[in-house]
Amino acid sequence: MTAIQVNGLTRSHQGFEAVKGISFEVAEGEIFALLGRNGAGKTTTVEVLAGFGRADGGRVRVLGLDPHTDRAALRRRTGIMLQEAGFFPDLTVAQTVDTWRDFTAAPRPRDEALGLAGLTGRAATKVRQLSGGEKRRLDLALALLGRPEVLFLDEPTTGMDPEARSSTWDVVRGLAAQGTTILLTTHYLEEAQRLASTMAIMDEGEIVASGGMAETLAPRGGRVAFRLPAHVDPGDLPLPVTVEGGHAVCRAEDPDLASQTLLTWAAERGLRLAGLEVRTATLEDLFLDLQRSAR
Amino acid sequence: MSLAATYRLGTRLFWRDKAMLFASVITPVGLAVGMPLLMRHMTTGGVAAATSIFHGTLAILLSITAFMNIAVALTNRRDQLVLKRLRASELTDGQILTGQIASTATQTLAMIVVCAVAVRLAAGVPLPANPLAFLGVAAAGSAVLSLLGAAYTAAIPRAELAGVYTMPVFLVCGVSAGAMGPIPLPSWLREVLDLLPTTAVVDAVKTGDLAGPVLILTSWAMAGLVAIKLWFRWEPRRS
Ligand SMILES: Nc1ncnc2c1ncn2[C@@H]1O[C@H](COP(=O)(O)OP(=O)(O)OP(=O)(O)O)[C@@H](O)[C@H]1O
Ligand SMILES: [Mg+2]
Repeated sequence: MTAIQVNGLTRSHQGFEAVKGISFEVAEGEIFALLGRNGAGKTTTVEVLAGFGRADGGRVRVLGLDPHTDRAALRRRTGIMLQEAGFFPDLTVAQTVDTWRDFTAAPRPRDEALGLAGLTGRAATKVRQLSGGEKRRLDLALALLGRPEVLFLDEPTTGMDPEARSSTWDVVRGLAAQGTTILLTTHYLEEAQRLASTMAIMDEGEIVASGGMAETLAPRGGRVAFRLPAHVDPGDLPLPVTVEGGHAVCRAEDPDLASQTLLTWAAERGLRLAGLEVRTATLEDLFLDLQRSAR
Repeated sequence: MSLAATYRLGTRLFWRDKAMLFASVITPVGLAVGMPLLMRHMTTGGVAAATSIFHGTLAILLSITAFMNIAVALTNRRDQLVLKRLRASELTDGQILTGQIASTATQTLAMIVVCAVAVRLAAGVPLPANPLAFLGVAAAGSAVLSLLGAAYTAAIPRAELAGVYTMPVFLVCGVSAGAMGPIPLPSWLREVLDLLPTTAVVDAVKTGDLAGPVLILTSWAMAGLVAIKLWFRWEPRRS
């Protein structure tokens, strides 16, 4: 079953077309990552899916319903973590959760929600005294209250420390294992890689790459960079490289393997690969790569 | 029930915001009790003058405790994206607004009752001859002014300006109802001001005649509902 269907969605803000006809589908129980730089149109897309705005064009369905016209029916089955939203600063964490439980037909117990979000020790703290990352966790607790079938997470881990981030990932994976469909947006390729099985990369309102996580990343994988030794012709290297400002850059599906090949080749010739850098792809690499292949 | 939940939330927030309590409770209650007390002791009119000014101060209670309070609270919550968060919950737009309006109206009605008893004790202003009609009109006035305050947020560009934007409403309502003492007005203006919802409540309380005031309040309520439907903004303006 398809939980989320987006077909040719367009959406403008005051004449500015923020989303220009995108299409994708998310199967039930799947984690889908929407990646993209600032201003790519991720939040605009999520807010249409969550029923905050009407699609200007195209067709959007969540659990078979139109998120805008069937908002009330859908709200009982979806949870949303907005990129930005306010709290009542004078309420404590526990009071905030209790207030939102009041709004929810079949809420999780307060302690369960706080536990999932890692806020158990902060229950008595006023919201105004929470740190940015703690507020983000409270966001998560509220989004999970109604045991949603579909969960929208707009940059869920922004502002969280590494520990909170990885425990949030565990929560997200746990929910997906129980059958929750999750659409998350992120700037971090790592986050998408760790969580999602499918993804789409947005840029300037369009989807520039999409599909299964592994297939989409495979050809662009990682990169190995090193200072090109003197008198070495890039064409002699065992792997294809591009030269960027004195550095040879080799893009490879498996950067570890590529670096070994290059080092072995260098050792055989008594060369040193100075400034060797091996890393898996970042979102920025992906964009450079996509732009290169578009040309 | 979710309407009860937003009602409880509105009430809790009303009493929790200490700074706001000064503006929306202490000041209007002080005026509504203090002015009649002054009239009773400083003028020759005595009880009659005190009674008349107390009726006028009902317009102050309505325009501050109901209208201004809800307008300020909702613009703040709108601009801090709290309304947006509420809309992300299972609540419907109607439940969010109705619960808040009902809560503000209840606090206002409670203030009016407290003031009526206080001026009876402190200044000898007689309790309303027809208590049920008084309560009914006060409740209707509180509800309509709360509704109008919610609708008025559409005209307030930013939260910082909420106070400035509601001040003229308070002044016009107060002057028109005679809460600031008798101020001579040209008759055409008088006729226009008589159409204000606050003046309608004051007139009903003063004369005991309900038909005209109820018609005026109903018209304002309809106008408020239409305005909310057309213009209410749940998120801050970004242009
Ligand atoms: N309410 C609005 N009014 C005007 N322009 C808007 C509005 N909301 C978004 N935009 C514009 O639409 C574009 C897409 O914004 P959106 O918030 O969807 O991007 P995003 O991918 O979520 O970015 P980020 O990663 O920074 O959160 C941006 O260029 C932004 O300036
Ligand atoms: Mg965004």
